[in-house]
Amino acid sequence: MPTVHLMTHHRPFTGGEAIVEVDGATVGAVIDALEERYPGLGEMIRAGSSAGIDGEVHAEPEYVPVSPDTVIYFLAPLAGG
Amino acid sequence: MTATEHPPAYKYVGTRPIRHDGYDKVIGKARFAADLNLPGQLHGAIHRSPHAHAKILSIDTSAAEAMPGVKVVVTGDDFPALDPKNPNFDLAANIIARGVAYYHGHAIAAVAANTKPEAQAAAAAIKVEYELLPAVLSIDESMADGAPLVNETNHTKFVPPGEPSNLSTITNLDRGDVDDALAAADVVIEREFDCAHVHQGYIEPHACVVDTGPDGKTSVWCSSQGHFRVRSMTADVLGWDKSRVKVTPAEIGGGFGGKTTVYLEPLAARLSEKAGKPVKMVMSREEVLRATGPAPEAKMKIKIGATNDGELTAIDGWMAYGVGAFGDMAGLIGAMSVASYKFPNLRMETYTALTNTPKSAAYRAPSAPHAAFAIESVVDEVALELGMDPIELRLKNAAVEGDLTAMGMPHPRVGLVECLEALKASDHYNSEVPEGAARGVAVGFWFNIGEESSATVNLNEDGTATVLTGSPDIGGSRASMALMAAERLGIDVYSITPVVADTEAVGFTDVTEGSRATFATGKAVVQACDMIIDELKKRAASIMSVDVDQVAWVDGAAVSAGHGGGEGGEPLTLAAITAQAKRTGGPLTATASLNAAGAGPSFAVHCADISVDEETGVVSVLRYTAVQDAGTAIHPSYVEGQFQGGSVQGIGWALNEEYIYNADGVMDNASFLDYRIPVASDLPLIETIIVEVPNPAHPYGVRGVGETGIVPPMATIANAINAATGVRMTSLPMSPPKLLSALNKRSK
Repeated sequence: MPTVHLMTHHRPFTGGEAIVEVDGATVGAVIDALEERYPGLGEMIRAGSSAGIDGEVHAEPEYVPVSPDTVIYFLAPLAGG
Repeated sequence: MTATEHPPAYKYVGTRPIRHDGYDKVIGKARFAADLNLPGQLHGAIHRSPHAHAKILSIDTSAAEAMPGVKVVVTGDDFPALDPKNPNFDLAANIIARGVAYYHGHAIAAVAANTKPEAQAAAAAIKVEYELLPAVLSIDESMADGAPLVNETNHTKFVPPGEPSNLSTITNLDRGDVDDALAAADVVIEREFDCAHVHQGYIEPHACVVDTGPDGKTSVWCSSQGHFRVRSMTADVLGWDKSRVKVTPAEIGGGFGGKTTVYLEPLAARLSEKAGKPVKMVMSREEVLRATGPAPEAKMKIKIGATNDGELTAIDGWMAYGVGAFGDMAGLIGAMSVASYKFPNLRMETYTALTNTPKSAAYRAPSAPHAAFAIESVVDEVALELGMDPIELRLKNAAVEGDLTAMGMPHPRVGLVECLEALKASDHYNSEVPEGAARGVAVGFWFNIGEESSATVNLNEDGTATVLTGSPDIGGSRASMALMAAERLGIDVYSITPVVADTEAVGFTDVTEGSRATFATGKAVVQACDMIIDELKKRAASIMSVDVDQVAWVDGAAVSAGHGGGEGGEPLTLAAITAQAKRTGGPLTATASLNAAGAGPSFAVHCADISVDEETGVVSVLRYTAVQDAGTAIHPSYVEGQFQGGSVQGIGWALNEEYIYNADGVMDNASFLDYRIPVASDLPLIETIIVEVPNPAHPYGVRGVGETGIVPPMATIANAINAATGVRMTSLPMSPPKLLSALNKRSK
């Protein structure tokens, strides 16, 4: 299953767990699985997030395919000046 | 100079052609937004709040409307109330007040008249009745128990839903056990810091011309960092479909993040719609300073622990950013930018606080300069305490691939070590510090981003190419796009015409921010070139009467056995193929669009020699070197220009620049006479060293260079001042009065 790393403000939903494993073939499916397991977490992630997926940062990664070995870091949205 | 370990053999990438837009800019032919005029246009002016926080009881526009030349007046009532969940909700409220003025200078009403003086006179004649509300003017006031609300529509993000609040974000980042690590550390240094609001200081004030036709279609000509964002923001604020708005980019006279948003365009569009004529609006410098977005102010506490042999074992940070009267995530982004050192134990407690001051906007590497000023100052103190060379301490702890950033994600391949080594080997670092002077160094980091970009490549009959992109040319991107296309296609860079196309002539392209244009739009250009090379090979195969898989593209020509790829015959050049385009299938064109992943983070290391006049507190910068990892420098001159520009802006931030508010929340220094940015005579030539650790996610290794250069200068200068005087300056700017005061306290 893909491994998901959560930022600190996500962790109240998981009882403090920083790293969880959930199933899904895309990042969106992973977020759906997180929402099902931890109600409210998926909504917070979708409210504005980029994600580091196997070392590359993606903006709005909903449909990025993932495999059981994929490591996902949900991040705050990144912008710049 | 460039420090590249293994330079690839590029023909065009890495060269320094004269920029394609250079001629027009040198002779004054380039058209900026304020240069544009349409027949029959009106001129707009804005009535702004004289109060930092006030309820608007009534607006009487009758006298203004009766004045000579006045055609139309609009107020907040002329704009739709957006859903609070709309991402542009705050933007809309900032563009024109709806019932409450949130800061001095907040737009209350706008006028269009035949002439600018008539519009200004009418704007001044608008009568507004206010009920004053308590103004919150500092981070401390904002975060105090029982503080008055700055903005009743603000709710704190990243926490369970609650009542309106002065905090836009509360976030914590952590790993390891900071308390244990600090308790076990041999050396612990703790300092508190603060930074004032500063402005991007772009030379060109905001300006636009907007024409809303009788069919409702609106054309906008304006200066911005991203005309597709101007389109979406303008349409959202007006409640229109985006397709109603066409935005044509004018040349831009500096943005640095401050032109990633809009202030005038929706007002001008509504005025134009109501008047039935084009409307031109141009801000004064005073309006730019009073009513557009500065970088946030900040307060920080940083504690760092280290072992006697120089291992940084823990960082414990508290950071609060003051972002003006509307929500932002500056605090979180500031904490996320803590990425330069390994720090096995880390805790960053962050807040983003609202105040009754102008809505903050992005400024090069937003939030990172504040954090770096604090952290790099404390790291310098650790080096002093341990008696270590500041570069050696940083090399010992420098983040490399796989090390964790504060946000938890490991770094990809990054070039901090290479930057530190390049400075260590530099002429500057190996030179004697001039007599009476002192030296400081510091490190900076910025993420860089990808996002959406499009590019179209059209090959012309004569073998030249036109490259259309949607990224405004802020720092030489036309030349960079042309160089990448030249490299890919194998034709001369001057055979390529790079065009910044309007919102109806090129695919969607995100705003130029996050140092993304050369990375993401460049990637789209390369993809479009690859697509057109595939088509060129097909056409060549047809002409050569061979299978396409027998054709290769080599140095701007198709080669195959018997055609430059073996015995006899000449290669088919690009020009030879385009000359036969009609016979082989028609025009040659290709478009690529993408959402670019894999932006390469960038590190910088700066070094300054300074002297301090201890009688006046004036700091003179004698020598300054900026080292930065560009990934690959597509056009080294413009890469160096970015390093130099960031350094100069950072030096201004370090030494002079600040918003000075009086007790009523009125900015007291709203002009370039009193808001002092550095000019050429203030500084030496900024020396540059380009480090090239290619980003594997870009075909030529680009990381993006526009922002990181502003991150290290404040700590670089502070560390040099400390070396010169023994005084640790913890408050920006380190202006002569502040430094003199600190020196006097030291003397006592």
